[in-house]
Amino acid sequence: MTRALILLRRRLVGSVFVLLIVVIGSFLLLEAAPGDAVDAYIVSTGGDAGMIELLRHRWGLDQSEFTRLANYLWALMHLDLGQSVTFSRPIREIILERLPTTLILMGSATALSFGLGSALGIYAGARPGSFRDRSLSIGSLALYAVPGFWLGLVLIVVFAVDLRWLPIGGIETIASGKTGFSRAADIATHLVLPVSALGFIYLALYLRMMRAGMAEAWRQDFVLATRARGLSRRRIVLAHVARNALLPLVTMLGLQSAQMLGGSVVIESVFAVPGLGRLAQEAVAGRDTPLLLGIILVSAVLVVVINLLVDLAYAVLDPRVGAGEASA
Amino acid sequence: MSELTISRRGLLAGSALLLASTALPTIGFAQTPKKGGRLVLAADSKPRNLNPAIVASNGVFFISSKIVETLAEASFDGKDGLEPRLALSWEGAADGLSVTFKLRDGVKWHDGKPFTSADVAFSALQIWKPLQNLGRTVFKDLEAVDTPDELTAVFKFAKPTPFQLIRNALPALSSVVPKHIYENGKIEDNPANNAPVGTGPFKFAEYKAGQYYRLTRNDAYWGKDEPYLDEIVYQVLPDRTSAAAALEAEEIQLAAFSAVPLADLDRISKVPGLKVITKGYEGLTYQLVVEINHRRKELADLKVRQAIAHAIDKDFVVKTIFLGYAATATGPVPKNDPQFYTADVPTYPFDVAKANALLDEAGYKRADDGKRFALKLLPAPYFNETKQFGDYLRQALAAIGIDAEIVNNDSAAHIKAVYTDHAFDLAVGPPVFRGDPAISTTILVQSGIPDGVPFSNQGGYKNAELDALIVKASETLDTAARTELYKEFQKKIAADLPLINVAEWSFISVARDTVGNIANNPRWAVSNWADTYLAG
Amino acid sequence: MNRLRRFLRTPEAIAGALILALLAAMALAAPMLFPGDPQAIAGPALLPPFQDWRLPLGTDRLGRDVLAELFHGARTSLAVGLAAAAAALLIGAVVGTLAGFAGGLIDEVLMRITDAFQTVPSFLLALALVSIVGPSLGAVVAAIALSAWTGPARVARAEVLSIRERDYVAGARVIGMHPLEIAFREVLPNALPPELALSSVIVAAAILTEAALSFLGLGDPNRVTWGGMIAEGRTVLRTAPFLSIVPGVALVLTVLGVYLAGEGVVESTAVRRSLS
Repeated sequence: MTRALILLRRRLVGSVFVLLIVVIGSFLLLEAAPGDAVDAYIVSTGGDAGMIELLRHRWGLDQSEFTRLANYLWALMHLDLGQSVTFSRPIREIILERLPTTLILMGSATALSFGLGSALGIYAGARPGSFRDRSLSIGSLALYAVPGFWLGLVLIVVFAVDLRWLPIGGIETIASGKTGFSRAADIATHLVLPVSALGFIYLALYLRMMRAGMAEAWRQDFVLATRARGLSRRRIVLAHVARNALLPLVTMLGLQSAQMLGGSVVIESVFAVPGLGRLAQEAVAGRDTPLLLGIILVSAVLVVVINLLVDLAYAVLDPRVGAGEASA
Repeated sequence: MSELTISRRGLLAGSALLLASTALPTIGFAQTPKKGGRLVLAADSKPRNLNPAIVASNGVFFISSKIVETLAEASFDGKDGLEPRLALSWEGAADGLSVTFKLRDGVKWHDGKPFTSADVAFSALQIWKPLQNLGRTVFKDLEAVDTPDELTAVFKFAKPTPFQLIRNALPALSSVVPKHIYENGKIEDNPANNAPVGTGPFKFAEYKAGQYYRLTRNDAYWGKDEPYLDEIVYQVLPDRTSAAAALEAEEIQLAAFSAVPLADLDRISKVPGLKVITKGYEGLTYQLVVEINHRRKELADLKVRQAIAHAIDKDFVVKTIFLGYAATATGPVPKNDPQFYTADVPTYPFDVAKANALLDEAGYKRADDGKRFALKLLPAPYFNETKQFGDYLRQALAAIGIDAEIVNNDSAAHIKAVYTDHAFDLAVGPPVFRGDPAISTTILVQSGIPDGVPFSNQGGYKNAELDALIVKASETLDTAARTELYKEFQKKIAADLPLINVAEWSFISVARDTVGNIANNPRWAVSNWADTYLAG
Repeated sequence: MNRLRRFLRTPEAIAGALILALLAAMALAAPMLFPGDPQAIAGPALLPPFQDWRLPLGTDRLGRDVLAELFHGARTSLAVGLAAAAAALLIGAVVGTLAGFAGGLIDEVLMRITDAFQTVPSFLLALALVSIVGPSLGAVVAAIALSAWTGPARVARAEVLSIRERDYVAGARVIGMHPLEIAFREVLPNALPPELALSSVIVAAAILTEAALSFLGLGDPNRVTWGGMIAEGRTVLRTAPFLSIVPGVALVLTVLGVYLAGEGVVESTAVRRSLS
């Protein structure tokens, strides 16, 4: 346990630096963007020079970059994410409103790709080199190669327009007044298509990793030993081969958690899901620097926490992992 | 075959106003209006400020015009193209120094307080003049608003202001908001900017960020038996391709502002239960314009500009890019404008040989690789059509030896590049014609506008004669004389080409058959929808 | 020779190699078969495939030849993918080797920076970067490379850590080579094979990222790319599905080819290491 604690402390200190780099880096990046929040705003309104000056002043954009960065970091130390210029609301409020949606979407998509991917990976890896192994690998790769937005649109056309089994988008029926279980069921039906579109893309990743790990495990001594002991093939596959191949997949989960948010930008846009990914895109388009910083920061914290949990799980499960070299 | 039908429809859309007024009675399918029901429609924009008195733009009006009303609304058959809303009548003094509005009696704000002339005075002086994007220009000389009684408001101007301009500005610029809600605190920070309170047929109910806006019926509305609908829900659909799917899946009943891509209209018009409507946007004409940076020495040469004008096949643009849902343009006033348009201007028929000859004459011979010179082309990213026209223009310019490189920016970067940094040679812009050239059209060519003003002359064009004409028109009180000056304005622009007007287009609505009283005024999508109903 | 034979051992590797060879041929032949600008207007708009022998795959919204676009798109799409992968590998290998070889504070700082890049969703980074520098192929390549170099960096560092204590490195140290020289002349080349295994993922991701950026309106309009074609074709998905299906199939085949060939390389070099 002490090893886990040392690891935890080390990682936490490291994480603070990581987050600081992320914030300052993102801030500078956005500052380099041509056009600011006012430029993005006047696209839809127009206005004369006086009005533009007025807006820049009101939104604090007439201050120097350094002053704004310092102000931002100062506020951040007090856990204040600031005010969004596009929504004229506190950023913490906006993000908290969107976060559950994104967590549900990403969580379900991860569960789908991880669950189905590793199951199919086991199925394929049980007989490496067989026809089903090859066809599953290639099939999942083909799915990976389809752009997410296109897959989403095709799913909409087939399941929402032609078959009318599922709603075309949104997160729940508008102002339906549903509560409790029926609301949960409503949200679930709305999520089927976006979760599938997002999950299928990453399916290949887990499938191929699982089957590669299994192919590797088959060659290892302890598996050969169990074979020699005359255990049934099914038991060997599940209890020994697959179990060993599963560990690196858990690491992958941690690494992928950051990428899912990126993938959800496009999927949330296609399916009109009000999540963080779309919010991030709106923030970039609207040059809403504090909002985008807030989103990046929250997602970074999320990723750090997930990876920390993964590492801790490793440290506890696998005593060979030292406190020093635990990074994946 | 299909091309024929498309261009026929294009003609219809093009000569909009006249045809629309005669075709009007058939639009509602002669059903009797029915009470009740929820209308769900697609929305793609999420305006950050819903106060139409501050932000006079179509994105804001689309939602807030049902809540906050203007003094008058555009009309197909009313006098001067107007019909009364909060004002019953309006009259300009002969000296151009005052306009008197008689207001509607018995109108109540959504919170139950009575609507009076004090609200109009407050809105005009405290909001339209100092804060509104368009009002800052039109009402710049507004000095005072007298309120002799609760139902009379007299606008006083410091300098003579043409009554025609004020009249034409009423539908878009005169949203009245309640004084008692806005008088305390900073107007820009007022919570009512996000949850507006008005006198309109619908009340603001709720907004779920990224999901929907919901409006509910105002039972105390002044219109007899109106409104018909119980609820209007704007469902936010960020991707343009999903509106058509939502209509077909019967999840929404209406998609306005061309939320359904033009290329999908032909197919969707054949879907049973859906109708494609090209009317109801006559007062919201967008213009496809090539903006020119006259600081480039080649482009400062009139012959080069003429050559570019000759190189553009306007019919191709209308037929292929707009699929017929547009009209070719001749100048800065659209053909469907009933007051100012003149066809008597120099024109530039599609003629590549002539364009090449003009360029040779101007001294820009083709080099060995066939190119004369290179330039940067910035198509505005706000519409699919402006981007596609950018792609087309690049090809059209290649045909006359001009090597255009497209610079594709997002909206914020485009605005900065074109209107502040002037980092463009040619740009493709979609300015809006708002019923009077003085509202937002003359600034496209006028000189002396500070850097950074969007949708204005930032191309460094300077023409003293044209500037004088613009000033003169802004001071001319007599309607006929003023109109004549703007015809002169169109001729001068077509002759000297400070910019090139290519086409003008309006939007398309797609709705289920059950939606009634659609498109019954020239600004229908941004009007109050008091008489819109759902049958069946 | 031996290596090539080993590479062509599996049918997947053969298929992958064939697909890539075909793509390379398409890319090279494009200017010969379709001289001139592939974006030139060649016929009536939205002509379906197999209607006109001069335009076998039909035309797009503006009447451009889809087949010509497909061939020229192979050039740009492959160029984007390869350039992004090369850049990511280069950055990653340099950073990883430096970190692994230097150790101590430099290692710590470099790895925290790597962490930071890995914590930010790569697509968001690409989106922000392309919005900032403006959509051009160069910007897209840079954006993808910037978000993809962390994997190679970690692999390189792990490799360096595992081989820096080996004999030949120790030997180099004894004969007085500068540590940097040792890092880049002795250690790096040995760390390369597992890096190459990562490259296939990056090439595929690059092509897909470019498509997603085009979907959000941030493609380079001066060049034809498959991603851009699919993004543009999506608005007419119902009316003219071939416009997005044709480049879509090409994209799927390419990604498959890159992947399969990549697997073949990994197997043939017989360095079985876990990718992470």
